[in-house]
Amino acid sequence: MEIFFDIFQNLVDQFTNPKKRVFILYLFLSILIAAGWLILHKKKSLKESIKFIFNPKVFFSKSATSDYKVFFINQVIMLFISPHLLTQITIATALYFFFFEISFLDMGLFATTPKYIIISLFTFTHFIVDDFSKYIVHRWMHRWPFLWALHKVHHSATNLTPMTVFRTHPLEGLVFTLRSAFAQGLTISTFVYFFAGGVDLYTVLGANLFVFLFNVFGSNLRHSHIGIRYWKWLEYIFISPAQHHLHHSVAKEHYNKNYGAALAIWDWMFGSLHHSEDTETLTLGLGTNDDQKKHSLKELYLIPFVESFKFLKRNFNSIFLFKKIKKNKSEIYYEKFPQ
Amino acid sequence: MKKSNLKTKLLASITCLSFGFTGFANAGAHSEDVYGPFPVTLKGYSGDCTNTVSYSGQIARHVQHDSLKYLSTKGDYDEMNAYYSGSDKNKQIWAPASKEGFPIKQILLNDISSGKNLSGKTYKGTITAWPNNMTGPEVIDFWMSKAESNPKDVSVGLNYQQLISKFIMGAVFYNQAVDNYLDEKMEADTKPNDKPYKDGACYTGKEHSWDEAFGYWGAAAHSLLLSAEQNYNVAKKKDLASADYNSDGVVDLKSEYVFAHAYYASSFDKGGKTSYLEDITRAFLDGRKLITSANGEKLTDAQRSELMGHVSIISDNWEKVIAESVFKYAGSTYKSLVALEDVTNADLAKEFDKYMKYWGELKGFSMALQVGKDNIGETGTKLNRMVGFGPMLLDETQILGIDVNGNYVMDKIYSMNDAKLHMLKIQKLMIDQFGIEARANDMLSDMADLASKIGTSESAEND
Repeated sequence: MEIFFDIFQNLVDQFTNPKKRVFILYLFLSILIAAGWLILHKKKSLKESIKFIFNPKVFFSKSATSDYKVFFINQVIMLFISPHLLTQITIATALYFFFFEISFLDMGLFATTPKYIIISLFTFTHFIVDDFSKYIVHRWMHRWPFLWALHKVHHSATNLTPMTVFRTHPLEGLVFTLRSAFAQGLTISTFVYFFAGGVDLYTVLGANLFVFLFNVFGSNLRHSHIGIRYWKWLEYIFISPAQHHLHHSVAKEHYNKNYGAALAIWDWMFGSLHHSEDTETLTLGLGTNDDQKKHSLKELYLIPFVESFKFLKRNFNSIFLFKKIKKNKSEIYYEKFPQ
Repeated sequence: MKKSNLKTKLLASITCLSFGFTGFANAGAHSEDVYGPFPVTLKGYSGDCTNTVSYSGQIARHVQHDSLKYLSTKGDYDEMNAYYSGSDKNKQIWAPASKEGFPIKQILLNDISSGKNLSGKTYKGTITAWPNNMTGPEVIDFWMSKAESNPKDVSVGLNYQQLISKFIMGAVFYNQAVDNYLDEKMEADTKPNDKPYKDGACYTGKEHSWDEAFGYWGAAAHSLLLSAEQNYNVAKKKDLASADYNSDGVVDLKSEYVFAHAYYASSFDKGGKTSYLEDITRAFLDGRKLITSANGEKLTDAQRSELMGHVSIISDNWEKVIAESVFKYAGSTYKSLVALEDVTNADLAKEFDKYMKYWGELKGFSMALQVGKDNIGETGTKLNRMVGFGPMLLDETQILGIDVNGNYVMDKIYSMNDAKLHMLKIQKLMIDQFGIEARANDMLSDMADLASKIGTSESAEND
């Protein structure tokens, strides 16, 4: 009985916790932003805009329905797995101890820095490190065939809704959890070691100030059918929803583009930036003929295991014995990402 | 544990509400939550005894320990030894002694019990946490002989008062309770419940064994009627009203005072995160009621099994209380090490004195942790290596051993930074191995607080 309560609590938490992406206020603000875009930019009437935003063909599509199923199943799976995962505090403690052993790293070196500067710096650094690590891991997800087999689950969505963020294979969830733990552990340990006791976080409703702003300004529209575009100069700094839609496009020119979560600067720096286009004509998904079949639970949960395993088996020597890989990475990548 | 506590509390609240009027009518009567008196259950007993609860020998040892602690700064070996090894004379109780507003009933040791000593009950195994393969009594004797000439030896950084006191609490009270009375003496055929503990006694083997363990625990008989704060203030001699259960105007050390680890448990519990004192004392009381309910018959397998459940609660939580103490003083020592880095010459002596005290408490408690029922194995080895045989001095030397003449061998083996790191690792070790929760002086809490503020790192989401 307790387990059902925990599952229910976890599900509710996703919509009532301001630290979560689909917190109800963020969803509501995304609707307002979408309506504003459609009315002011697309010159639609209020009625047309509302009809467009709540288009049942999107929210009750096969793709969206499978998002909801995956959301629920993953909540249950993570409930069992998460107590056994490496946490940010374990990593932070290990790094903190490691810093002690490096003789030239003086603990509390910047302890006299004014508190508001320490807190501002920590809040900003946490956001930047977290966002950059998301970029890197996302890039790996596309570049490494073993990881792509898992990440394909997310890209098999043929309609995007805010719930598509949860369309994630559980193994991929483990990778993301490790990423988050490492990013947080690194920031926390470094700051506490060098700034001693004054480290804190500026928050709004309990969420990091910058994460809050990211969510308030329509983070949920990244996965939606509302292709909001920013000014070109702004798309060098922040990823617009339309830029992320391109990332989900099946068109070859959009491959390997726009990995960023909140910031576009990483894509700009590492050559993967693509400015937005009119997204209404985009085809989303994997670009295979049987895209609609990709929404079954078997495709979403079991096939990624099979494909990852096959890849590992085929390339056992190169991965574990450091022998020359049979094919170069891009060949495998395109083989797994049909055109 | 916490859930069962909550259940107990809910049940207690419902019962109190249901029988509220009856409760008020019985105010002042014997409470079910007080340890004793318990009736005679022994078959065939024909003496005058009406209460079988008896642990005055253990209280005498608590008082010997407190008095020895008091004397260990006075530099008189014979006087110290009179309390450690016992004396033919009826010695004065130096501590706990009366103070204004907190009169204590007993003045002399024999007012409690005569012929008792600590040395005979000190853990006899090899103490690996101290050099030269000494047994428990040999370690105490070595320290007392050193304390005679220099109770606080700044040349090596040792505060003997803290070492002696904290180790005795483990090597006598904790060890005797969990490794003897609640272990061997709870076996089916040892000290059975259908025979007197010894010839002529009115209590059975199991009744008295259980009472002796309770005596070593150190709680007052009515501790369960008091809050953690009240128990703490009784031990600090600040709350006569809470201590004086029978309202005779004085505090009876035999049943109304809080000693040793029970006091430390109250100090952690008053922070609100733990309930060690309540859990352990409740397990003792429930166990005693169970033994009494056997009515002088041998305990059945089911009864013994239930009793061993109470033993587990007592042993596990008692070990946690000591681990919490190790954690707390590792934190204090760490803070002192940091303070010593920037201390002015004027404050150096004062700060170093604090440092010696904290390290002494850390060492004593860490040694106590290793003389329980179970061998803590690698945890003990790690602990001993990180705590060391003595605190690191300002020139980064520390005690590495003891030569044949009993002199300390000093040298430098690691840096001050390493010494600080060891304190942090000890805190982590206590959390990882013993799951402690009160965590006083937590030096890693800043990171935990930040992590909790940021939120879980668990994330099955694609951004």
